[in-house]
Amino acid sequence: MRERRIRLARFTVRLVAIAMKEVLHIRREPRNLALALGMPVVLLLLFGHGVSFDLDRVPLAISDGDRTEESRRLVNAFVSSKDFQAVPGRAEDAQDLFLRGQALAVLVVRRGYASSLARGETGEAQLLVDGADAVTARSLLSKAYEITRSASQRRASPASAGASSPFKVKVSTLYNPEGRSAVLFVPGLAAYLVAIGAVLLTALTVAGELERGSMEQLFASPVGRLEILLGKLLPYLAIGMFQLLVLIGIATSVFDVPLRGSPVLLLAAGFLFLVGMLGQGLLISVLSKNQLMATQAGALSSLLPSMLLSGMMFPVENMPLPLQLLSRIVPARYMVNALRGVMLKGNGITTLWPDLLALAAFGVAAVALATTRFHRRVA
Amino acid sequence: MSARPSRGQRLGWLQFAAVVRKEVLQTVRDPSMLFMLIAAPLIQGVLFGFAVDFDVDRVPTAIADFDGGSQSREQLRHLLADGTLRRAAAVRSVGEAKELIDRGGTAAAVVIPPRFGSDLLAGRPAEVRVVLGTDPNRAGVAASAVSRYFDEAGAELARERGGRVDEKAPGSVTVTPQMFYNPRLQSAPYVIPGILAMLLVVVTTIVSAMGLSREREVGTLEQVLVTPIRPLPLLAGKMTPFVFIGLLDVLLLLAMGCWIFDVPLRGPLLVLFAGTLLYLLSTLGVGLLISTLSRTQQQAFVGGFLFVLPAVMLSGVITPIRSMPAWLRAATWVNPLRHFQELARANVLKGAGFRDVWPQLALMAIFGTAIFTIAALRFRKQLR
Repeated sequence: MRERRIRLARFTVRLVAIAMKEVLHIRREPRNLALALGMPVVLLLLFGHGVSFDLDRVPLAISDGDRTEESRRLVNAFVSSKDFQAVPGRAEDAQDLFLRGQALAVLVVRRGYASSLARGETGEAQLLVDGADAVTARSLLSKAYEITRSASQRRASPASAGASSPFKVKVSTLYNPEGRSAVLFVPGLAAYLVAIGAVLLTALTVAGELERGSMEQLFASPVGRLEILLGKLLPYLAIGMFQLLVLIGIATSVFDVPLRGSPVLLLAAGFLFLVGMLGQGLLISVLSKNQLMATQAGALSSLLPSMLLSGMMFPVENMPLPLQLLSRIVPARYMVNALRGVMLKGNGITTLWPDLLALAAFGVAAVALATTRFHRRVA
Repeated sequence: MSARPSRGQRLGWLQFAAVVRKEVLQTVRDPSMLFMLIAAPLIQGVLFGFAVDFDVDRVPTAIADFDGGSQSREQLRHLLADGTLRRAAAVRSVGEAKELIDRGGTAAAVVIPPRFGSDLLAGRPAEVRVVLGTDPNRAGVAASAVSRYFDEAGAELARERGGRVDEKAPGSVTVTPQMFYNPRLQSAPYVIPGILAMLLVVVTTIVSAMGLSREREVGTLEQVLVTPIRPLPLLAGKMTPFVFIGLLDVLLLLAMGCWIFDVPLRGPLLVLFAGTLLYLLSTLGVGLLISTLSRTQQQAFVGGFLFVLPAVMLSGVITPIRSMPAWLRAATWVNPLRHFQELARANVLKGAGFRDVWPQLALMAIFGTAIFTIAALRFRKQLR
């Protein structure tokens, strides 16, 4: 019993010593620290504003061959919505407009539009669409459909329009009624930026010491492998938690992302996630011979999957099965889910425990693997 | 040229060739480096091509049919028939549907209340409820798919019941769409050229920045300094292999894109190559500049990352530039990635030639020359 306590005390002392040494390293490179702390904040502000799939200001060229009040009303219905922006151009040049990116669509109203409407027939207009960007083309089409539908409804007398339809569709939106992209993206971006900081900093620390040869001196001391790795991990864990707090603060204050659930749960998820990402960074660092390799391995094994397979931007459910399976070993996926769950939906531990469990498992596995692959030997 | 090259010029070329030879040998002898430069971009290209599926069809939807009669089943079957919505689960309560959306597996729910069938038969408006999750993109698609379907089905039904709608409506308005370039609206052909732009900047900027800082850190740059080699041939020799690797990556990725993802390659490849060369001038220039600003590899990497990440996110590769606020849109003008992705996409998908994309070429040339000159001057100063 007593023996155990002494061993634990020694372990703690060495751990703290290594952690202090790492803190000194960090403090002596104030530029790196400033970058590590400032970069995610700047990036979150930039991306939170810039990353959005919302349909906005689609350049639309108008070719009105009818020039009647009816046709102008239709054109106005398109141009007055903030989704479209009128640009000069003619239908004959549609191909050229698309090629140079000057317009994404051309609305063509042919002569005789108003007179067929007056006869009680269907007034037909044409929409030439640059389909290269399928996402934009799709939302553009559904917008155009909406506009013509309400135009038709306005033409029908308002009383009969509602009564004559045998169906009534009622739409309600949970959590994000204004449908803003930022609300969905910002929590994911926060997780991603924290992950980047964690992996990059740790991936370089062990590889750097191995490359410079200072690790040899540590091996000559009585410090154990786990103590070295955990000691290196601790200061970065503190930095990461601080960063997460700052980023969540920005998300709620600048981008109006709600925080509906418990902040404690959020921090717990963040802690487990950080341990996992830092552990992965250490593992990469231990495995690669030099810093160049470490960064590339880090980028390939964590930054890319965290962005692609986490569901941060692209829904995992849409991916082919092999990628869905692959996404199950990406910790960012669970973190993004937990962050969105707590912030947007107010989920509690009863809903999110599988995510927390996965994060914990990943963290333990990463640190354990890094320790076993870390040999107290000079190559 | 009538005059023979001077002795100095010939020496410069010799030195250049020697540096190229050394760099190529060094790269070829390091298989991990070769993997990083050639295989890694290919793997990432395949991953991205499959993962970035923006096709918002097959939206996983929970279905709650409280009516259960033949009418509701019939309508649901037709609603799901076109593939926009996919039945992810059949639930028995609205609470259960919300729980599924909470957990994130499903994006929307369609709820058919009891009495749907009887309302419909009695001529009362039959209600359908749609519950949407957090993703605005897919929520919008699901909502419009449901309302569109019931609009059309409603009009059809009304016509069957005696043409009431058509008689009263004084002519309705329709817009017939005509798709250019991509009639089936696939997303991969648009994604692949974007990825090309992204991978090229990752490979060339970060690797060149770190490679040069590594030489400075390890001290091999100093050894080169004691040789009579001059800065310009040294720099050109170090950059040339990257240009070839970049062009090779472009070829490989395009071939893969054609083969796996049906990327059309409609434009003259010459334009794409010219664009790639000017783009590489920018990305290598930035890499060189970063290496002159950093003392260690770690700094070079962080610096490279600080350039690459915003450059990628704010280039239009992933999300459209149109949706950004005005100040950010203005900032994207100095982003070489933006111009290259516009060029590559216009060229590959729409067949754009020099006539159409000269503004992009010109902007990349200006930016590339400027940044490379600044970087080269700094590099030369540091060598002295």
